[in-house]
Amino acid sequence: MLVALAALVIVDAGAASEAAWLGAGVATLLVLAGIVAQSPAPVHAAVAVLGVMFLLRHDSRLLVAPLYGAGLLLIDDLAIRTMELSGVNRIAVDAIAARLAATIAVAAIGACLSALAALAVTAAVPRTVLLTAVGALVAVAAFVAIIVVARRRFGP
Amino acid sequence: MKGSLSPRTPGVLALAGAGLIAALATGRPELALIAVPFLVFGGAGLVIARAPQVTATVEPDRVRLLEGEELTATVRMRNDGADPVEVEVAPARTGQLAVSPPGTVVVRVGARSQTEIAFTLRPQRWGAHGIGPLVVRTRDALGITTWEGPLGSRVDLRAFPREERLRELVAPLRTQPFLGSHVARARAEGIEFADIRPFQVGDRVRQVNWRATARRGSLQVNQRHPEHSSDVVLLIDTFEEARDEDGGTLDAAVRTAAALARAHLGRRDRVGVVDFGGTLHWLEPAFGTTQLYRIVDALLSSNIAFSYAWRNVDSLPQRVLPPGALILVITPLLDERSIALVTDLRTRGCDLTVIEVSPLDYVAPGPTAADAIGYELWRLEREALRARLQALGIGVAVSEPGVALGPGLEEVNAFRRSAQPALRA
Repeated sequence: MLVALAALVIVDAGAASEAAWLGAGVATLLVLAGIVAQSPAPVHAAVAVLGVMFLLRHDSRLLVAPLYGAGLLLIDDLAIRTMELSGVNRIAVDAIAARLAATIAVAAIGACLSALAALAVTAAVPRTVLLTAVGALVAVAAFVAIIVVARRRFGP
Repeated sequence: MKGSLSPRTPGVLALAGAGLIAALATGRPELALIAVPFLVFGGAGLVIARAPQVTATVEPDRVRLLEGEELTATVRMRNDGADPVEVEVAPARTGQLAVSPPGTVVVRVGARSQTEIAFTLRPQRWGAHGIGPLVVRTRDALGITTWEGPLGSRVDLRAFPREERLRELVAPLRTQPFLGSHVARARAEGIEFADIRPFQVGDRVRQVNWRATARRGSLQVNQRHPEHSSDVVLLIDTFEEARDEDGGTLDAAVRTAAALARAHLGRRDRVGVVDFGGTLHWLEPAFGTTQLYRIVDALLSSNIAFSYAWRNVDSLPQRVLPPGALILVITPLLDERSIALVTDLRTRGCDLTVIEVSPLDYVAPGPTAADAIGYELWRLEREALRARLQALGIGVAVSEPGVALGPGLEEVNAFRRSAQPALRA
């Protein structure tokens, strides 16, 4: 999946394909380093690199971005799952399948919501300070909601 | 169980936040669109996460077994919650208990259902072993939150030593007036022929030896040795041991003691045990199968307790060493205190035999020539010590791993027969 996403960028990067190649290589190394070191931080860094690489594409159609984001989420989850199960001696197949199905379902929902946002963005609304502030407020509100839920569940 | 965010969760939320901020800062909506699935993932994970209602029990198919034998322990995980739970299980256990599969097992327990996991356990050494509580980690459906903690209670297993079946035993010099399997030196009613003597008033007619009577011209009767039991005290030296990763002299001593106890109790002897070392434990001599289980249980708690305390025979209660008891000292002959005890018991006229649990198999000479010479000197010193004990009239049988003890005990019996005058002195 990492190769597929990297190829999606590299094919469309034009003159910046060298940077895309470099980014893909770095992301691959980071994922491998994270799995070997049993640390999620390098995996997240690799996802961040792949996310930034998306800006190298020349194609300006936004509808690819939700799928790209869902793909990155799956890469992140699969790499973390590999780490979680690396010290396990016996794994029930239904445990793997259920977790993968749940992640794919949530990624699909996220991609749909993202696609709706992409449609809203492509409605050719001019960028204004007010709209930017509204966008920032929505982002902050989403984060505050998540943090409130987390604090209620697990304390400060 | 204690709940927390899994290590990945802050990273996922940070990626989502970074994407949104970068989109606002750069005016590139693609970054926000890429971040949305991460935001949904983190939010959904936190919303659907519930504290698991999981209980677990460990049920072994038996709690008593021989060392090296295998048993199956069934772990029953029950989920009383409304959501399925992914559970990672690893049974906590004592060091010498091998568990298969050795690491973590991941199962999925459905809502309001139960799952069973079978573990194979094998005690690698005799003794008391424990399995449980289970170390359990559960995750929600998306792996955003984890709950960890111990679950269930500890189950104790008792692994009995795998003992050698002894056909030959050290014959006691003195017996007790109870029916047993040892031919007593006394003359009374019995099976074994002892001597002929002239008829006395009160002798039964069936005792008359008619051939001797005809030859001597006066009534002669047969005398016989009765079959009596004896008191046997197994004195285990726990001052010191030699040990490597595969075992040690204490392991071998306990196996030998268990084998001797079983064999002597099978011959209707009264058997007692003294754990003589840094700490002192004893079991007074008694008959029967119940005593065998008591002895094995007492042996399982034997361990080396480091101590500078000088102990001698006076440290032992008198009832532990009944008069006329055969004392079998099971020792690696490594500690001065146990060697002093052996000589002290001998000088007090006790019927004594040393079963030396050889430490040579657990000690290897070092790499240098000086080490090899030192090892050889130590070995010769041990031979000299053995000879010194034999000069005192103490029979010494050597117990080595993989070598039957029976021939060694037979040699001791031969030695004791030839050394009888010295023993009686």
